[in-house]
This record gives sequence, C-alpha cells and structure tokens, in this order.
Amino acid sequence: MSAPVPVLTVPGEPPSSAAAVRAAGLTKTHGSGETAVHALAGVDVAFARGAFTAIMGPSGSGKSTLMHCLAGLDSATAGSVWLGDTELTSLRDDALTRLRRERIGFVFQSFNLLPVLDARENIVLPLQLAGRRPDPAWFDAVVARLGLRERLRHRPAELSGGQQQRVAVARALLPRPDVVFADEPTGNLDSRTGAEVLDLLRSSVRETGQTVVMVTHDPIAAAYADRVVLLADGRLAGEIDAPTADSVVSALRGLGA
Amino acid sequence: MRSVTLASVRAHAGRLVASCLAIVLAVAFVVATLVLNETTRSTVLTAAGAQYVGADAVVGTDDGSSLLDAVPTVSAVDGVAAVAPEWQTSVQAVLPGRTGAEFLLVGTAADDAALRWQRLADGALPDRAGEVAVSDRVTAEVGDVLQVVGVAPDGTGSTAEVTVTGVVDLGGDPEAGLYGRAWATPEQAQAWGAADPTELRIAGAPGTDPELLAAAVRDALPDEGITVRTGTEQAEVRAASMLGNATALAAVLLVFGTVAVVVAGLVIANTFAVLLAQRTRELALLRCVGATARQVRRSVLGEAALTGLAASLLGVGAGIGLAAVVSRLAEGVDSPVPLSGLSVPWPAVAAGLAVGVLTTLLAALAPARGATRVAPLAALRPTDPAPLHSRPGVLRLVLGLLLLLPGAALLVLGVLLPHVLVALPGGVLSFLGVVLLAQRAVPPVVRAAGGLVTRAGGVPARLAAGNATRNPGRTAATATALLIGVTLTTAMVVGTASTRASASAGLAAAYPADVVVEGLSGQLPGTLLPQLEGVDGVAGGTALRSAEVTGPDGQAWTASGVDAATAVPVLRSTVDTPLPDSGEVVVPEWQAEAWAVTDGDVVSLDGPAGSAPLRVQVAEESPLLLTGADLARLDPAAPVGQLWLRLADAEAGAQDAVVDAVTDTVGTAVGDAQVTGVVSLRRQMNEVLDVLLLVVTGLLGVAVVIALIGVGNTLALSVVERRQENGLLRAMGLTRRQLRGLLAWESVLVAGVAAVLGVVLGGVYGMAGTASVLGMAGEVVLAVPWLQVAAIVVVATVAGLLASVLPARCAVRTPPVAALAG
Repeated sequence: MSAPVPVLTVPGEPPSSAAAVRAAGLTKTHGSGETAVHALAGVDVAFARGAFTAIMGPSGSGKSTLMHCLAGLDSATAGSVWLGDTELTSLRDDALTRLRRERIGFVFQSFNLLPVLDARENIVLPLQLAGRRPDPAWFDAVVARLGLRERLRHRPAELSGGQQQRVAVARALLPRPDVVFADEPTGNLDSRTGAEVLDLLRSSVRETGQTVVMVTHDPIAAAYADRVVLLADGRLAGEIDAPTADSVVSALRGLGA
Repeated sequence: MRSVTLASVRAHAGRLVASCLAIVLAVAFVVATLVLNETTRSTVLTAAGAQYVGADAVVGTDDGSSLLDAVPTVSAVDGVAAVAPEWQTSVQAVLPGRTGAEFLLVGTAADDAALRWQRLADGALPDRAGEVAVSDRVTAEVGDVLQVVGVAPDGTGSTAEVTVTGVVDLGGDPEAGLYGRAWATPEQAQAWGAADPTELRIAGAPGTDPELLAAAVRDALPDEGITVRTGTEQAEVRAASMLGNATALAAVLLVFGTVAVVVAGLVIANTFAVLLAQRTRELALLRCVGATARQVRRSVLGEAALTGLAASLLGVGAGIGLAAVVSRLAEGVDSPVPLSGLSVPWPAVAAGLAVGVLTTLLAALAPARGATRVAPLAALRPTDPAPLHSRPGVLRLVLGLLLLLPGAALLVLGVLLPHVLVALPGGVLSFLGVVLLAQRAVPPVVRAAGGLVTRAGGVPARLAAGNATRNPGRTAATATALLIGVTLTTAMVVGTASTRASASAGLAAAYPADVVVEGLSGQLPGTLLPQLEGVDGVAGGTALRSAEVTGPDGQAWTASGVDAATAVPVLRSTVDTPLPDSGEVVVPEWQAEAWAVTDGDVVSLDGPAGSAPLRVQVAEESPLLLTGADLARLDPAAPVGQLWLRLADAEAGAQDAVVDAVTDTVGTAVGDAQVTGVVSLRRQMNEVLDVLLLVVTGLLGVAVVIALIGVGNTLALSVVERRQENGLLRAMGLTRRQLRGLLAWESVLVAGVAAVLGVVLGGVYGMAGTASVLGMAGEVVLAVPWLQVAAIVVVATVAGLLASVLPARCAVRTPPVAALAG
C-alpha cells in the first residue's frame, strides 16, 4: 500500500464556492513498480452545486474509482478532494465517516438496503446513525415525491426492484446532503423503472437544488444529466454540456469504447 | 474430485483453523477427562490401598480368625513367590524431647522385597528387631531413638529403645493423619504382642496373572470365612471404605464421562454445520461445472474426515498434555489427591479419536446432504442478501419432544427412587431433547431480549437485534453450543455445592467428635478432662463414664454414660450419634438385632448397683449410650472411659499441633491411652472431595471455552457473509466504533440468552443429579451457590463480548468500498 510515490504539490487554487465537489491532481495507484496500475492518473475536475453530472467512460477508465475517492469511500494515492470547503484526503477515518453520514448521500446499483430493517427504518438510518431526528415535513415531502407512503412498513424482500431503489433514493435525499453519489443506479432495473428513478434524481436537482453525481455506462441514463464528464485510462477525456443520448454515444465512440 | 477436496482443505485452511480448534479442544477435553479420571482413580487406590496395589493377591478372614496355619498352604501354591502375613499391634512410644507417650499402630515390614509397599521419604525399612520405620505423622527423624512400651502376648509390659531407620510417606491415605504408624519386622511386632495375622499379602512369580493366582490360592484354602482378592481389588475395597460410597464416586465419574462425550459431539457438529453453510455458493459452482451430487457429497465428507482425523490427533496429544499439566500442578500444591504420575488408558486415546472423527463425519452428513441439493444456479446468482430461512423442522420438534418428555419423566423417577442409573439416561435423553428444541425456543427468546437491548443500545443494538435473529437456525446452533457448556458448568457447580454440603453433613455425622481419648485399660483419671480443656486450641470436651452392664441376653457389655448438656456443644453432628434422653438407651443396630429389640421397646440393663428399664433408640452406629444419670444408677462408681474433645476451628497444621499437645498431656497423665485425631481424617476427606470436584468443574470450563469459540466462529462467518452490508453501513456513516458495537451487541445477545437459559437448566440438572446420586448413599442437602451462578452468567456474557473482538477487527478493516463492489 505504502508505495514510494512522489509527493505531488497540490495546486494552490482556493476551492471554488461554486463547486460542490472538486478534485485536484487526483491519483490512485494499485501496486507499485513494474506492476503498478494507475486507476486515476491525475484528475482535475469540479462538480457544480445544484447540478446533475454524469461520469462516463469505458470499463476500466477509472470512473468508479473516481467516485469512490470523491465520496470519501476510498483514499487517493496523491492529490486532494474538497467537499465544499472541507479537504477530504487529510481526514481520519472517524471524521470521514461522520462527514459521509452528514454531507453525502449514496444510491447503489444493487440498492443495498439492510434486509433486517423496513423501508422507513432504512430511509432514516443515516440520520439515526448520526443521532439526529428527521425533519417530519421534509420526510413526508421526500416519501410523497418517491411514492413510498404505502410501503414504509415493508421490508426490502417485500419490495420490487424499482421500489427498493426509490427507498435508496429517499435514504440518500433525506439528510439533505451536499452531494448525492449514484453508482449505476439503473443497472439492476428495467428501462421503465430505470427512467422513473432517473426522473426522480433529476427532479430533486431541479426542484430542491440537490447536487447529484452519477456514474453510469448507459448513454440514455447519462442524457438525464446537465453535464457529462468523460473519463478514459484514468484521465479526464472531455465534457459534454446538455448531453443527449446520441451526443454521448458518439463521444464514447471517440474514446474507443 | 480428490484434488478438489485437497485443494479445498488447503484453500480454506484459515477457516478450518476455527473448526479444528473446536475439535482439538473437544477431543482434548474428552481425553483429559478420561486420563484424569484414571489417574485420580489410580492415585486414590495407591494412596488409600498402598499396601495392596503391589501385592498380586490378598487373603483375609471374615471373622478375624488366625491365618497363620494357611501360610504353608498358600506358600505351596504354584506361582506364589512370597507370602507376607500382616502382624499388627500397638505400642506407646515417647519421642526424643517429648514428655507424653504417643500411640503408634504397628504393622509389618515384609521380609520379601516385593511385598514391601511402604514408600520411604527417608532412610530404609527395618531389617532386625530394635528397629522401626515410622510414618511422617510421628515427626521422628532417621536415627532418633524412641522409648517404646509394648505389651507381650503373655501380658507382661516391656520398655525398649528402638531406632528409627526410615520415614514412610503415606501420601494421600486419608487415615495418615489419624495417629502415628510404625512398621517393624514380624519378629519385633510379635514381641510387642501382635495377634495372629488375619491378612496375608502374596507376591506371585514374575509374569503371573494376579487373577489366576488369586483363583489358585482361593482353591487351595478352605471355603469358610476366607476372602481372596487380587491386590487391586483389595485396594479398591479399602479405597471405597475410605472414600465412603465408592459406587457414588464411580457414578459421578460415569455421569461426567457421558456428559463430556455428548458436549464434544454437539460442539463439533455445530461448528462444522456453520462452516459448510458458508460454502453453499462454492459447492453450487462445483455442480455448475459438472460435479455430480455424489461427488460433491464425497468431497465434503472427505474433507470432514481429513479435518476430523488431523484435529483429533492434535486433540489427543493436547488432552494428555493438559492432564499432565493438571497433575503436575496438583503435585506442586501438595494436593490431598496426589495425581502423581499419569495413567493414560488406551480407551481414552481411542475414545478421543473416535469422538473427534465420528462426530465430525456425522456433523458433516446433514450439511453434505444439503450441499447436494444446492441448485447449480445458486452459483450464478449475485450474493444473496436475503436471510437464509431455516425450515421450521417438524421432525426436529417431534423428535425433541419425544426425547424430552420421557427423559424428564425418567429423571424425576431417578430422583424419587433415588437411583442414578435411572436418572442418568433420563438426564441425557431430556438434555438431547432440550438441544433439539433449542432450535425453536432460542430465536424467540433472543428476539425478545433484543427488544430490551434496543432501548439501551441505540441504532447498533437495534441492528444487532435484527441480525441476531435473521438466521434463526444459525443463532440457535451457536446459542445451543454455549447453552450446553453453561448448563453443564452450572449443573456441576450446583452439584458440587450440594455434594459438599451433603458430604460435610455426612462426614460430621460419621465422625462427630474432633478428638477421641480412650483409656486402653477402660479408665481415665477424672482430672484429665479439665487438664485437656486447658490446652490451647481445645474448644471444649465431655467425659463419658463407662460401666459393665448385663444386657437382656445375659452377656456383659460396656455401656457409656453421656450428658447431653455437655456433649451437644462438643459434637459436630448428632445425626448418626443420637444422644439418649433420660430413661433411654441408644443401641447400635447390630446389637439391637442381637437383642431382638426395635425402637421404643423397653430393655432392662443390670449393673453392680441395680437394674433399670430403658426405652430403646436404635442408631446405625453408636456405642451403647445412656445418660450419665442413668448409668450412675446402674454403677455409681463408673470411671471415665472416654473423652470427646472439640477443637477450635483453625488451619490444618494448627489443629494437628493441638492434637499433638493433647497427646502429650494425655501421655503424661496416663500410660495407656489412645488419642485419635478424627478431625484430620474428616478434613482430609473434605479436601479429597474438593479437589475432585475442582478438577471436574475446571474441565467443564473447557466446554464453555469451546462454545465461545463457536460464538466467535459464527460471528466471523457472519462478518464474511455480511461484508457488503457492513461496507454499506460504513458508507452510510456507521463509525468503526459503532460497527464494533453492533457486533458486540449481537454476540452479547446470543451469549447472554444462552447463559441465562443454561444457568436455569443447569441448576435443575445439578440438583436432580445430586439428588439421584447422593440419594442412594444417604441424606441429601441441596445448595445453590448464587454467587458462582451469577458469576457464570457474567463470565459467559463477557466472554461472548470478547468473542466478538476478532471478527469485529476483521469487519472494521472492510473498506466502505466493499459495499459497491457487489
């Protein structure tokens, strides 16, 4: 793990208040010496507050690693990550954990709800872990928007895939995090339910100013975003503003995917 | 498939370590128990029956008649190498520097080396008249010269100076502390008035089978009134008479041995089941690539056999080592049960191996069958987040009830009869029933307990409560293992307390006075009692006057007069020695039979001064006892014949010193009195009991340790299984501390429930067991040591907490990213 890596000087640019999350010189290396693999090879990127951004790229481009590093789930080998004004890479595990539960929301490909808890308990779990109570009005608003009112007492095993993912979205939105990271949120859903979930994510951005960063390999899903960031071989490979499925497909083709 | 089996063992070595550890411990537990049992038995035999274990055969008489005439006959028997008649007598000896004479029981140092059983602490056994070897109780040293007063057969007393040639270590002989012992040559013993021998010890020619030799001797002697036993048999008889009820002791060991095998089997079964449940996916993959169901089953069983055998071999070694350590420790602390040396009976080794291998195989059977039913598709599904639901198992319920109900009925019957051979199968059956039913009973209890802790422990506790019951089968299995250990330990602790209480009562009843002073000529000076009461450490005493009275059969008997007012404070118990009220006579059972009287009958006793009608009270064992006033009416001039003394409660050594001081005082005042320190006998037997029970309880502690490994193991597997889920929780903001707390709560829930249930069950079994075992021997006093029982609950729960430490370390190392990897 502690490979001799040259210490990179972090670019001294002050964190921009417009960016919800920002990375500078982000490098992630697995292994060392001859066998070293650079999952991220110096990425500089910023995600605007109140925007829906998709990260795309071919398999092995480092898009998942980038998201893990941005979300404080994985440590970078070099470079730095800011969540607002907070520098993540210097935080210890406990501080990072608290930051995750208070300021970051997650939506996963395989829903990842706790089987022993019912929908309501799953939704309030991050707040409870932080020892906070949900704001009842906001809770009702989120549950109503996601159409889960009738399902709150059900356990995950009693919910359909789409319903489970809506519970996961509610869980991510309830603490009003600085940013919601979604990792292939439609990967396990059919196209109609997938579209519903994407609609919900987009409307939370439009209506409540939620910042959402989504990793996907599906051009149709990416088209729901305000902006697409393209990644290839661990480096930034371009951006598309106001993407459509077609523009994303052709951009990806340009990357050789 | 063999390569797959071997590769699987290699690949899962880490995971197998946990289950191997359980097997090793369980087998070691069985082997150590059996070895210690055997060692204890043989050391009790060599301690209590030391003079017999070395002999090939022993001839005794039933009525105390002389065996001198039998010596030539026995010597002529084919295969007999040497015969040692036991000449016994007693002398009064004055040690250098002491004033009072001390009573010494004199035995024979055999002429033949093979029959010289005495273990010398120093010096040598006597070879000629004028020499003696003494027991260490005498506190003489080699080279000391003793003034010995003996009475020759013709009644003439003689004083001689004899030299101490050796000091004999009587080891754990419970009677070693009663009085001094001395050994002299047969000639010397006869010169001191030894009566004709009533016991012959026989050494066979090298290679002679003791059984055959005893049979040959038996055939050569007349049938009437003669007993021939092998040396070992004779030693067992003596050990039995020393340790009280030998069958009760054997029964306790039998119960314990059975219990050890059952626990070991269940724990191994449990560990292996959990291990295989973890590998469903892998087995499905094998099926996917074309392995037949048969091949999968064979592979699983092969793996089990391999693991079982390897671990069992280690376990046998560990068990013998454990027993050796315990025995060495026991020697080090000078335990009253000298677990000297180590007897490794081969059945112990065989039993250990068999238990290990067979139970591992049996344990693997059910999961192996389950493994063949795994659909190949299971390998292709993503990790199954849904809990594995175990089927309710109607069969298990029916079987459990079928075992529990008749078992419990048998147990109750065994307590009521009371008979241990009825209670034992009842206990085993009902407990197996409980184990089967635990599968159903434990999860709801854990759920209920979970409800309680949820209030106390916040989110982690709530999650833990949910996790603890999401796989009810596994929770039940884990809890059951601990339940078994706790049940048995509690049963043992409660049994120990009850046995101690019962045995103390029994010992006090059998030996009510601490020190008994008897005048050999039948009388003691009246001034002796006040003198003795003045001795430091003597708490009190009472004098018994003795007179010769004529009974209804016209024969003369010695009767003693006792005053309840002074005797009751002196005696430790009056259960077996009832004191007569005015107008009553206590008659020992054998004499009541001879006189053909029973309780409440009136007999007339005649003395020199008159006669008195007295109401009979029959006692099991007692002197012929009247009140002092009644005796005075029969014989106003009756002299003091016996003194009973009670010593102040003190350390063992201090009490021995008091007995010595009493001996000195008595010796100065009277030439011919015998002082018997019963207090040391009672204490030694108590200590023997304590050590035996301590060893047994310690071994059961091992069962709890095994069970806790089971808890840790299950938790570790859950951690592996829930890797993704734990990663998710970490991603959601569960701190490492909270994750540790979650696992700790889960573990404490399971362990706590098992501990509480186990303590309740164990209390019931402990009391039932004690009642059925000791009920056979006599009075039972039930005792529940609450403090120890509470300690068991606390220890088991805290240990459960500790069992979560390693899995938790592993869990917190899981990076949150793991949640997204799936």
